[in-house]
Amino acid sequence: MMGEEGYVIGVDSGSTYTKGVVMQLDGRIVATDITMTGIRILESANRLYHALLEKAGLSESDIAYVVGTGYGRYQITFGHVQVTEISAHGLAAHYLFPRTHTVLDMGGQDTKAIRINDKGEVIDFAMNDKCAAGTGRFIEAAARALGLDLRQASEIALNARRPVKITSTCTVFAETEVLEHLAAGERLEDILYGAYLGIATRSVGLLRRVGVEPEVTFQGGVSLNKGMVKAVEETLHMKVNTSPLTMYGGAIGAALYGIKRLTGKEEIVMPTADRAPREVESA
Amino acid sequence: MSATAKGRALMSEEAAQYRVPKEYNQAVVLQSQLVRKYFEDVAAAAAKGKKIAYGLVEANPIEILRLFDIPVVYPEVFSLQISYKGGALPLMLAAENEGYSTDCCSYVKSGVAAIPPIGTGQTPLGYVPKPDIAVLTYSGCQIYIHWWEQYHYWTGAKIFTIDIPYVRDYERDHYVPRHDVRYVADQLMNVISQLEQLTGIRYSEEKLREILTYTADAWDHWRMALEMGKRVPTPLDGYFEAIYYMSLITLTRGDKTTADYYRFLVDELQRRAEAGIGPTPEEQFRLVFEGVPNYPYYKDWWSLFKRWNARGVAGTYPKVAGVVDYFRFNPDKPIETIAEYMIHAYCNWNMLMRADLLKYYVDAYKADGVVIHSIKSCRSFSMGQGDFKEYFVGMNIPTLMIESDHVDPRYYSEAQMRNRIDAFFESLALRKGLK
Repeated sequence: MMGEEGYVIGVDSGSTYTKGVVMQLDGRIVATDITMTGIRILESANRLYHALLEKAGLSESDIAYVVGTGYGRYQITFGHVQVTEISAHGLAAHYLFPRTHTVLDMGGQDTKAIRINDKGEVIDFAMNDKCAAGTGRFIEAAARALGLDLRQASEIALNARRPVKITSTCTVFAETEVLEHLAAGERLEDILYGAYLGIATRSVGLLRRVGVEPEVTFQGGVSLNKGMVKAVEETLHMKVNTSPLTMYGGAIGAALYGIKRLTGKEEIVMPTADRAPREVESA
Repeated sequence: MSATAKGRALMSEEAAQYRVPKEYNQAVVLQSQLVRKYFEDVAAAAAKGKKIAYGLVEANPIEILRLFDIPVVYPEVFSLQISYKGGALPLMLAAENEGYSTDCCSYVKSGVAAIPPIGTGQTPLGYVPKPDIAVLTYSGCQIYIHWWEQYHYWTGAKIFTIDIPYVRDYERDHYVPRHDVRYVADQLMNVISQLEQLTGIRYSEEKLREILTYTADAWDHWRMALEMGKRVPTPLDGYFEAIYYMSLITLTRGDKTTADYYRFLVDELQRRAEAGIGPTPEEQFRLVFEGVPNYPYYKDWWSLFKRWNARGVAGTYPKVAGVVDYFRFNPDKPIETIAEYMIHAYCNWNMLMRADLLKYYVDAYKADGVVIHSIKSCRSFSMGQGDFKEYFVGMNIPTLMIESDHVDPRYYSEAQMRNRIDAFFESLALRKGLK
């Protein structure tokens, strides 16, 4: 099944979650899904692949191309080709918000700043190096120290009034710092938002290394955290694009990469009809 | 699922594992024999009671030591050899056990921990004797002085210090004031008179000229070999292979065998070029490299580039013992020419000159981009590399910056390294219109 009727699957095997997207060759998203990566990378990717087929009502023979991305990409042996999540996030940001020139992708253990051109192709990028400070793990550590789950951690920080200072140089030490602030009687909201601002400072530092050119699109799992979005905007002094789909940025970009290779299309943006706010399945 | 993949694979495992056919890779074999012989000769000399000198790769006046029949050991070289063979970690731990910090240069740590009293002196290439004298050519690296003090502390070696002024005048390209040359030349004369007393051998300018004639010959052929990287496609990898080929110009410069070796290398590269043989199955990308390599995972690290059929066309690291592009030895003025050579060590150049050299490589060697490998241990080499990156990106030259260490294996993460390298090639491929 070829032409505009075919389908491509993008699988993003990340450190915490594996995300997947089924896309039609015209760029329409047919289904999305997410599962914990766990220790068996191929198994979780395979499980996700079959769940996506079921959701989309498709069989394997309908799929023209499977593209893997993320740290586990080379273990997705049923895929046709692999692409780094850096290239994938660039394509996805352009697809979701075509005026994007700078992408911030914040995942479980990686934060990436990516500069892209008018077609979503990568010009330059910078990443955190061998340290998880300033990534999703940092949020997990801060939330754990405060006895919150990640959903609570997303909302509660919005009520901060006088955020505390958290040094943000080390995820492990940040946990201790959070506890010290608790012991000193600081409000939970102020501690949490203080941690977010710490992370945002590091992320903005990365963004400045590649040069911040509007619009900025915030992707990856952490982009669903409302408190974090606010902290990034406050630190960057500008609005950033996010949507329920930005957490699927890697998988969307992988699918787009597949479509580009199959069809030779130079540029793919989200069809206008699909641009309305939508609910996306969560784990 | 139907296999309808279009477009050829831009990277492949075959390319990653590719080896140059044996008949076109004899220079590496010959060199490893000569390097082994060098280590044997040094060990034999020490066993006979000869004085042994330790020297630094940067700015080493090997010709003068040759004149006094003093074999030179280079701790940087045996450290990288140990690391290349996978033996660095125990030395890092042994040095740290003696109180050297985790942040201390890993060359220093392995260089000190490999020899008695901390280590045994046994290396993958043979026995390394302890120093009787340590010739400190203080150029470009501030740690050198403290490293050599450590040799004095542990072995009682006598230290000879030669201070090398930086090349600091950017406006007059490659200009070195005469008084700087005189400053180094006077120090060399002082060392010579001390070596006369130490060895009982009289200084002979005529013999020094003879040694330098071999040096100049090897140097010219070394330059010719490296300039083969200008050819499209290039027959050699001007970074990963050049790093192998730079061993003898560092270790044994100044004799006929070394001069002959570089002739042999040029011939082999010429044969490669004629047969269309290169370091990868084909040439998809041409890169300029800045920085010291990762030795503990050298071949794995190289394969991350080979996988994309990428060839290094030029690099600054193979010039660390002297910027061969600009400097020529003049045997007629032996002391002055050695002094000038010492001043023109790559890390002794100011940052603007270094940036210009890289830009020259990008243009003259028709490179697609620049790879900067920063190492945790060495700030004298890595300092300013962030600025280099901004400089090149500002000129629309694709530039990748990656980081690990040259000796300490604990700083290398293949998944992170590969992610960055793959992403760089993906964007280079788009730029070149490769699908």
